Amino acid sequence: MSEKIVISPTSRQEGHAELIMEVDDEGIVTNGKYFSITPVRGLEKMVTGKAPESAPVLCQRICGVCPVPHTMASAEAMDAALGIEIPKTAALLRELVISASNLNSHAIHHFLVAPDLIPADNVELFKAAVDSVSEIRKTAQYAVDMIAGEGIHPSDIRIGGMARNISELARRKLYARFSALVPKVNAHVELIENLVLEKEFPKGLGVVNAPVFASDIIYGKNDFFDLDRFTEIVPEVWYDDPEVGKRACTTIPLYDGVNVETGPRARLDKFAGYKERGVTAQHLARAREMKTYLSRAIAILDELDTSANTMADFDPRGTGELGVGVVEAPRGTDIHMATVKDGKTQFYSALVPTTWNIPTMGPATEGFHYDWGAHVIRAYDPCLSCATHVMVVDDEDKSVIKNEMVRI
Amino acid sequence: MAFGTYKEVVCARSTDKDIQKVSQDGGIVTALFAYALEENIIEGAIVAGDTEDPWKPEPTIALSREDLLAAAGTKYTFSPNAIKIKEAVRQNGLEKIGTVGTPCQIMGLRKMQSYPFSTRFVADKIKLMIGIFCTENFPRDSLRTFIDGKLHSSLAATTKMDIGKGKFWIDTVDGKQGLKIKETHGYEQAGCNICRDLVAKYADVSTGSIGSADGWSTVFPRTEGGNEVFQAAVEAGLIETKPMDEGKFGLELLEKLANNKADKGNAERERRLGLGLPLPQEL
Repeated sequence: MSEKIVISPTSRQEGHAELIMEVDDEGIVTNGKYFSITPVRGLEKMVTGKAPESAPVLCQRICGVCPVPHTMASAEAMDAALGIEIPKTAALLRELVISASNLNSHAIHHFLVAPDLIPADNVELFKAAVDSVSEIRKTAQYAVDMIAGEGIHPSDIRIGGMARNISELARRKLYARFSALVPKVNAHVELIENLVLEKEFPKGLGVVNAPVFASDIIYGKNDFFDLDRFTEIVPEVWYDDPEVGKRACTTIPLYDGVNVETGPRARLDKFAGYKERGVTAQHLARAREMKTYLSRAIAILDELDTSANTMADFDPRGTGELGVGVVEAPRGTDIHMATVKDGKTQFYSALVPTTWNIPTMGPATEGFHYDWGAHVIRAYDPCLSCATHVMVVDDEDKSVIKNEMVRI
Repeated sequence: MAFGTYKEVVCARSTDKDIQKVSQDGGIVTALFAYALEENIIEGAIVAGDTEDPWKPEPTIALSREDLLAAAGTKYTFSPNAIKIKEAVRQNGLEKIGTVGTPCQIMGLRKMQSYPFSTRFVADKIKLMIGIFCTENFPRDSLRTFIDGKLHSSLAATTKMDIGKGKFWIDTVDGKQGLKIKETHGYEQAGCNICRDLVAKYADVSTGSIGSADGWSTVFPRTEGGNEVFQAAVEAGLIETKPMDEGKFGLELLEKLANNKADKGNAERERRLGLGLPLPQEL
């Protein structure tokens, strides 16, 4: 006899989602369905018809967790749509910002999963882990503040490059602080790795055979995404339960006709030969990436020319050609696409990391006891708030006919 | 109270000959920033720097004594120094900054510190705020209009501007010329008419020429931090002080002018309120 276990909303993640697990008599998951119940974003519609410069400014407000990667992907898409080649130093500064921002974001995830990994009675260890997260975030966000203008809604990532170069004093300060952060990050990564290994997740937990989806080891490569290999289907077709299909709030993106896995493990799998799969591997890959980001940031600071120009001249009128921006966000590949003609955005679309992972995450819970379900989900570090709360209005008289805000 | 909160009021001037040569009066702003830079109390100061256009100041980040000297002297038109603070803290990496401003600018900065809307981790980096006495301020086009039209000179020919003894003065190669203050009325910034603060009450240290003899400045160290820097600069011999003249060309004059400004500001506020116009919130 099968029974349904429902976790709604799934917790310690960004945004709201539901996990439905059908289980057998022993509690083993036979069918897992994970879907977003955060209402639809409207950002793509908001930027359409406006000047291209509006897109990075509005799209960074997609989410407060990933404002930097969204701004960056948006700027990259617009650069491509306007035929801009940004100065080399601007490209380095952008990569530096992504490195710092992703380092910060991975640390946040460790805060979210700490209760999974640390026994509840070990208050000292929990405190040490949280302090370590705070310390890393403080320095990483300081760098984002300085280079991108703001840590949350970066004002200085612009179409055409970066608004300003940093001063020599700022470069030296950041170099010194990031160098001093190396032993702290190393110790943090070791702590997390040990906690993950000591947790002894069941062997094979979360292993899926979905192909990996990643464009680059750190920053992202625009030419990675091939629109011809991409399809998008409605949830009613994807989920075998019509009720779930109706309630799910994201479309299902497929690459080469199948769902994919994106994120830290996918990046290391594709670019660093890391072939372990499943929950443990995802946690270990995420921790390991923190070192990669930090060492890349230091290397960039070392070679940065602080007197170089960081903005390209450009014609904002646009060509009508599709521009694609691909940035490796903490949780995976973030793709923004745009066309601009006569100085106005004509088309805009954002394919965000967690949207890619959603169809893969549910089945990843299968084959193990449902108690592990939430652990499988959190290993993906899902972030659903690329959705804002939307109210449906009657198009005729503009009245609010249905309040779609999620209540928890 | 006409002068706000202050630790003491003294007559002071910089002892540095280089500063004296370029400063408006006693060179207090330049001397204090130079000392604070030297002692690493601040890492840089946002000052009104010169541009290619005559008398068109631009907020500039001074990182050295030389930068400060280059920007010394009063400009009678706005340099929106606050606009530069974020860039100074962000891309320039300054974590302790000094800035100078008119009473209204200082009030804005204090508001910014009280509620750092879009200036989180920025406003708190201001470590030394120097306020300058201000009776009114002119848009650059106003200066051009009355210097061209009433003094028959030009911004380009003007080497120094000053207000004193009831007149607006310009120094040119042809000598010194003065225009009665009331001839400049109507040319000031509109906001000046509702301002009630002459002595920059909310600054860490405020300074200006009123109440002191030529070449000297009247100084009010106000906050703990501001007083500390000022006293240390005096102790280091960079600034010399003498007691204020309490009489009618000293503190009495300053008090009279400060009260006049407050009274005029209040009257204009009443008038505007009577017309149903909104007034800005003050601290």
